[in-house]
Amino acid sequence: MTVTTTKGSVDAVSPRALRVPDRRRRATAGYPRWTPYLFLLPAILLFAGFTVYPYVSALWLSLTTNRGGETTFAGLANYVRLLRDPLFYTALKNTFVILIVQVPVMLALAVLLAVAFNSVLLKARALWRTIYFVPIVMGLVAYGILFRALFSSQDGFVNQLLGAVGAGPIPWLANGFWAKMTIVIALTWHYTGQSAIIYLAQLQAIPVDLYEAAAADGAGAVQRFWNVTWPGLRPALVLTAILSTIGTLQLFDEPFVLTGGGPNNATLTVGMYLYTNGFRYFDFGYASAIGYALTLIIGAISLIQLRLTREKP
Amino acid sequence: MKFHGNRTRRAVAVFTTAVLAASTLAACGQQPSTPASPTTGTGGAELTGTITVWSWTAPAKGLEAAIPGFQKLYPGVEVEVQDVGNPAIWDKITTSMAAGGAGLADVLNIGIDYMGNYVEKFPGQLADLSGFGLGELAGDFPAGPWKSGQGAKGEVYGIPYEVNATGFFYRTDLFEKAGVDVTTIKTWDDLLTAGKTIMDATGVPLFALDKAATAADSANLWQLLTNLQGSFYFDAAGDITLNNAAGVKALEIIKQANDLGIVADIPGSWDNLVAQMKGDKPVATFTAGGWMAGQLTIDGSGMAGKWGVAKPPAVAAGGLTAAINGGTYLSVSNTSPNKAAAAAFVKYALGTLEGQEAVYAAGGMFPGYLPFITSTSFSKPVDYYGGARVNDIFISQLDEDTPVVNYTSDYARALKALDDAQTQVLLEGADPQTVLDAAAELVAQQTGRTIAK
Repeated sequence: MTVTTTKGSVDAVSPRALRVPDRRRRATAGYPRWTPYLFLLPAILLFAGFTVYPYVSALWLSLTTNRGGETTFAGLANYVRLLRDPLFYTALKNTFVILIVQVPVMLALAVLLAVAFNSVLLKARALWRTIYFVPIVMGLVAYGILFRALFSSQDGFVNQLLGAVGAGPIPWLANGFWAKMTIVIALTWHYTGQSAIIYLAQLQAIPVDLYEAAAADGAGAVQRFWNVTWPGLRPALVLTAILSTIGTLQLFDEPFVLTGGGPNNATLTVGMYLYTNGFRYFDFGYASAIGYALTLIIGAISLIQLRLTREKP
Repeated sequence: MKFHGNRTRRAVAVFTTAVLAASTLAACGQQPSTPASPTTGTGGAELTGTITVWSWTAPAKGLEAAIPGFQKLYPGVEVEVQDVGNPAIWDKITTSMAAGGAGLADVLNIGIDYMGNYVEKFPGQLADLSGFGLGELAGDFPAGPWKSGQGAKGEVYGIPYEVNATGFFYRTDLFEKAGVDVTTIKTWDDLLTAGKTIMDATGVPLFALDKAATAADSANLWQLLTNLQGSFYFDAAGDITLNNAAGVKALEIIKQANDLGIVADIPGSWDNLVAQMKGDKPVATFTAGGWMAGQLTIDGSGMAGKWGVAKPPAVAAGGLTAAINGGTYLSVSNTSPNKAAAAAFVKYALGTLEGQEAVYAAGGMFPGYLPFITSTSFSKPVDYYGGARVNDIFISQLDEDTPVVNYTSDYARALKALDDAQTQVLLEGADPQTVLDAAAELVAQQTGRTIAK
């Protein structure tokens, strides 16, 4: 672009007139300014349509109630009701019990697995890695049927195994405590491989010379793990801890297919309670309020986790 | 138009056509908001287009069997019955209704327990069929089930497809082995005593429950026992009654049976029910809707002569021995572009002798159309049950003064609360009155309904 101001005024405007086209040229390299937005447009539209709109719509829904088919504005009534709802607290408690038991166990197992996968002593590595990753790709329904059969209180395979060694039978799906444990076991089986693969990728990024230097300094295997592997894994640990926490807080699939939230709400999670209110009781306003409450909780916990795990300068 | 078949069929056809012609004309006058379809206002015989029907497994088979006869009357209408599965059908209907009716089939097979919820929470999504000549069928169906398909102002939202009176099914071989004469069992107290005898003599539990209620809801027995006392979760005004004397008595009977050790714990699923029918997971008795009488002869075919059917025992001596154990409806969606054709199909399948014969023969669902169930062909002896006229057991229940069951729009919540209460009683030995009071409180808190005094 060139300066097109009229003759006679050139002197008056020259500093600005010269600077502006100059900057433009650098910024657009000959294309209109809106070019990048054009390329972003599909993503922006999808984001607006399928992320922003549902969020805003759910926020509005959470402020409404449906009486006799009429959707009416109800202010914070749904949130007030939520604070007084004993089942919501049951669901929160269950979710946190499962979270506190499951996430540390799974992450510890995943670290051990990743170290084993990475070991030079391991034969047929690709095979082992595949075996542990396969549960991730297993469909929800197949997985539900499998675990129901395995953990059936009456004639399940797990109880038969326990019987063979003289233990049990354990009322896996019929007792509140054991039903939670079944969910924990199912979750661990399903997701440990995924975390292990993330750790493995991180482990492979740790330079070998660090281990060699440590070995040269006389560090044993355990010392090498704590002083080289563990700090090297740190970024992946933070990532998986936060992702697993968010995933477990949103927990829905496993209780839905395994226990239906029972017995007597012992495995009712916040996700299950949201679904039940929305799609069983058609109480979409209340379900949206539960959704927003869960979003707030997840946001707060993720912030705390980020703070706690921040690298010291 | 060509009619094949006998005079009755022809008469039915002519009648249906006339009624439809009249009613569609009437509908034009009454419902100006109805989108004008090419067929509206013309004779029924000139209906054209394609209608889809959402149903599942056996009921879908029944409806499919009605298509050939229907098409003889309405050669221009194509009918497609889709087996979308149960419970998937409820999510499908719910999401479509939440989207303003987009994607709904023309004809919907809806369970009685969902009917009130759909009508109340999604008003205007189901077409009022009284405008399509189906209102006059009112006298041809038992009053209770007909009323549960109506809206608050008498709109006809569903025509009863299945009307399930309750069958008490018992293993004749086990009763005989234990020396128990089933005709001496008049009340549930008698039955529990007999159950103990049977358990001691044969080792077979009296009945099964999903005690943890983790696989499916497990409240059928409680609902039956409560119904037999003329009560339910809600009364006619919609107030909560699940913790009244009848509700507590029902749960006490269940607790008593459990304490006697005569209740098997079998997760609720279709496969497990079939295992009970076949005797693979043996139980001495179970209660089920009238449809079970036909189903047993199919899935339990190897057990011919070993199952008997009777009316359920009364809770108190001399009390009700009849209960309507659920049912389903056919409804027409209001967004259907072909409501007249859809209504004509519903009318043919459920409100004509010819249609009902075809539907019943193929699906085995216990029908509600009185001219059909009082016909001689329906009340015939069944070899499987040693020549007993099984259907008479169900028909006779329609004469008893059973309460009109008010499911309300909050049935699902009440059902869940009851399941949880029952689980506490069965697994932790909790007190029926205490847990039912807590359940009633919870339902009141969730729904804003009051607990009936």
